[in-house]
Amino acid sequence: MIPLSWYVLVSAALFCIGLFGVLARRNAVAILMAVELMLNAVNVNLVAFWRYGEPQAMAGQVFALIVFTVAAAEAAVGLALFIAIYRSRDTVAVEEIDLMKG
Amino acid sequence: MTYAVFILFTLMALCGGVLVVTQRNLVRAATALVLSLFGVAGLYVLLEAGFLAAVQVLVYIGAIAILIIFAIMLTRRMVQGDESGLNRQWGWALVSAVVMFALFCYVVVKAWPLALGAVSAPAVPADSTEALGLALLDWEQYVLPFEIASVLLLSAMVGAVVIAREKHDS
Amino acid sequence: MAELTVLQALGPLSPQLVLLLAALLVLGLDLAWGEKRRGWLPSVALLGLAGTIVATMSLWGRREVLFGGVFVVDPSAVFFQVIAVLATALVILMSIDYFEGRATYTGEFYSLLLVASLAITLMAGSTDLIMVYLSIELLSIVSYVLTGFMREDRRSNEAALKYFLYGAAASATMLYGMSLLYGITGSTNLEEMAAVLGADAGGSMSWVVLAAVMLLLVGFGFKVSAVPFHQWAPDVYEGAPTPFTAFLSVASKAGGFAVLLRFFLTALPDLSVNWVGLIAALSVMTMTVGNLMAIFQKNIKRMLAYSSIAQAGYILIGLVCWRHTLGAYGGGISGVLLYLLAYLFTNLGAFTVVIIVERATGSNEIADYAGLMRRNPWLAAALFVFFLSLVGIPPTAVFVGKLLIFSSAIRLGYYGLAIIGVVNGVISMYYYYGVMRQAFFLPPKEDTPIVASPPLAVALGVTLVMTLGFLVFAQPFIQLASWSTL
Repeated sequence: MIPLSWYVLVSAALFCIGLFGVLARRNAVAILMAVELMLNAVNVNLVAFWRYGEPQAMAGQVFALIVFTVAAAEAAVGLALFIAIYRSRDTVAVEEIDLMKG
Repeated sequence: MTYAVFILFTLMALCGGVLVVTQRNLVRAATALVLSLFGVAGLYVLLEAGFLAAVQVLVYIGAIAILIIFAIMLTRRMVQGDESGLNRQWGWALVSAVVMFALFCYVVVKAWPLALGAVSAPAVPADSTEALGLALLDWEQYVLPFEIASVLLLSAMVGAVVIAREKHDS
Repeated sequence: MAELTVLQALGPLSPQLVLLLAALLVLGLDLAWGEKRRGWLPSVALLGLAGTIVATMSLWGRREVLFGGVFVVDPSAVFFQVIAVLATALVILMSIDYFEGRATYTGEFYSLLLVASLAITLMAGSTDLIMVYLSIELLSIVSYVLTGFMREDRRSNEAALKYFLYGAAASATMLYGMSLLYGITGSTNLEEMAAVLGADAGGSMSWVVLAAVMLLLVGFGFKVSAVPFHQWAPDVYEGAPTPFTAFLSVASKAGGFAVLLRFFLTALPDLSVNWVGLIAALSVMTMTVGNLMAIFQKNIKRMLAYSSIAQAGYILIGLVCWRHTLGAYGGGISGVLLYLLAYLFTNLGAFTVVIIVERATGSNEIADYAGLMRRNPWLAAALFVFFLSLVGIPPTAVFVGKLLIFSSAIRLGYYGLAIIGVVNGVISMYYYYGVMRQAFFLPPKEDTPIVASPPLAVALGVTLVMTLGFLVFAQPFIQLASWSTL
């Protein structure tokens, strides 16, 4: 079997890639995609810990399913916001959305 | 053999991920996201979580990724901009992501051994998908999160409609 | 027979059920009634909240574990339920006239506001990471929508987008911490986690736990708007519909504290990781940055945003002093609870004044408060009282919270924290005085008097009475808070 730590390291790498995207991307949709990478990193962790812990107890899988659900809801609301803001000002580049400063 | 498959899926997930955060063209970035999500689904199969792998393909790739591609299409005028897809602080972002990864490596290796040899875990029960379904409906387990998740989906739906609805004509 | 046991089991969950039914009812009636009778929807929502309070009262002093440890009812959960319901009721009163000519779909606003309230009541009782995460996300997702509710207003749109992007990243980070905690302890239940961590004598888990706690603090800190996870707050507070800004500043923040208290005191009480030091550092940064930034603000909603950040810093001192439980009313934790309740009335009062002025002048600039005393002396006096309370001058409401928290800090020997807190209180006088100077000493730009509509007047009256008479009227809550030491 593959050691647990390999999965956790893959997950950490995926999380950090997503983190870079969140911090470095200009476009709101691109930032959302980076967040999806972070959520997938979490799910890899959860499933791996479930598998290498006690596979009879389903906590890890239940948690992963809840993350799926939340991710879907978040994506729906996020995209509605992108569309609303795009309608009103033709851009979803975060730097150009700056009515408020302070 | 397992190792080769593991490495293949890992490369899919990570290379896809790197493309997602670096590609200037958002349609390509979204395609890379699909690749990365397939890699993660493969890892679920390796971890004997077949149901989650299926959900990953259906919900994540089938719904979320497609939704994102829709959004890119709907807001596409700015997709092919000349400027880079990264903002001015991307250097700092890179440094913090790399430092973060180094810290995670340290923490993970300290807690869970890297060694290849004696890795063992209890076998997964054959009916684990059924057990998952029962856990979600079990009064003594996760029935409350299950119900609240449906409230969440309903609220998100109402909210998305309110936000994105065309202007009212009345 | 089986049905009876289901009903019995749902009894402790009745506040949540009533809230959910009210939310669905408002949504349904909005569709069924159409334009004409839409004016009744706030009353329906208020009725629902009244029902929720009755259901909550029946749980006073009870302690029960539900759903195999996913959810509990105990005095502190009940306390936060009361906070959520009171805040929502006052915010509904503040919203009734606010949306005239600003947004069309007010039915959805009230319905989603009730769902937000439901989310906070769930956060208060969650004792399993799965439930903690889900209830935080329910609050967040509804909050993004409510922030962007005025779709024709670009600032509202922009605020919602920023809130969404910061929020999604913060919650993903928090979730990663949760996954690590699950990995190291093998459980998502906070009690079981505490047992595993307590048995870890060699400290082999402490590195992972430390990493996980720091990641979790990103998400929790975001919800309570603690520095350095506060950047969203000023923009969101400025752009969101003002009643919802008020909701964010008291109810959403209280929900964040509910989770913070529950997590640290249930899962990590025996200091396997020095989280108290982390919280203390967070507290100092939050107080200081919040107060210093508030000085430079010209928009009153932004100023109150930074003021609200600073208040989160004071409240965090209470969590640092969680061990202190001397005396009937003493203790860091009951200090946190009473502070949040006092802050609820005070800050909602201040926002009621902001809404009344905004409706009259169409502006949130502090400069437009010039001559408020001549245009409506009551309003100026009320604002003065709320600001006194925010500074913590006796006998106002927040003074009670500050007294409890700072005296706990001194008893436990955290003199540094107490001194920084007091110095920050002095700094805060400066920017509150800036508004008062406009209101009392400068001539008005216009002479037309400002009048409050009846619902706003009611909200103002309630918050004013509670701010001035907190010690008298809040006795039952003080009692409840003293039971809530977890």
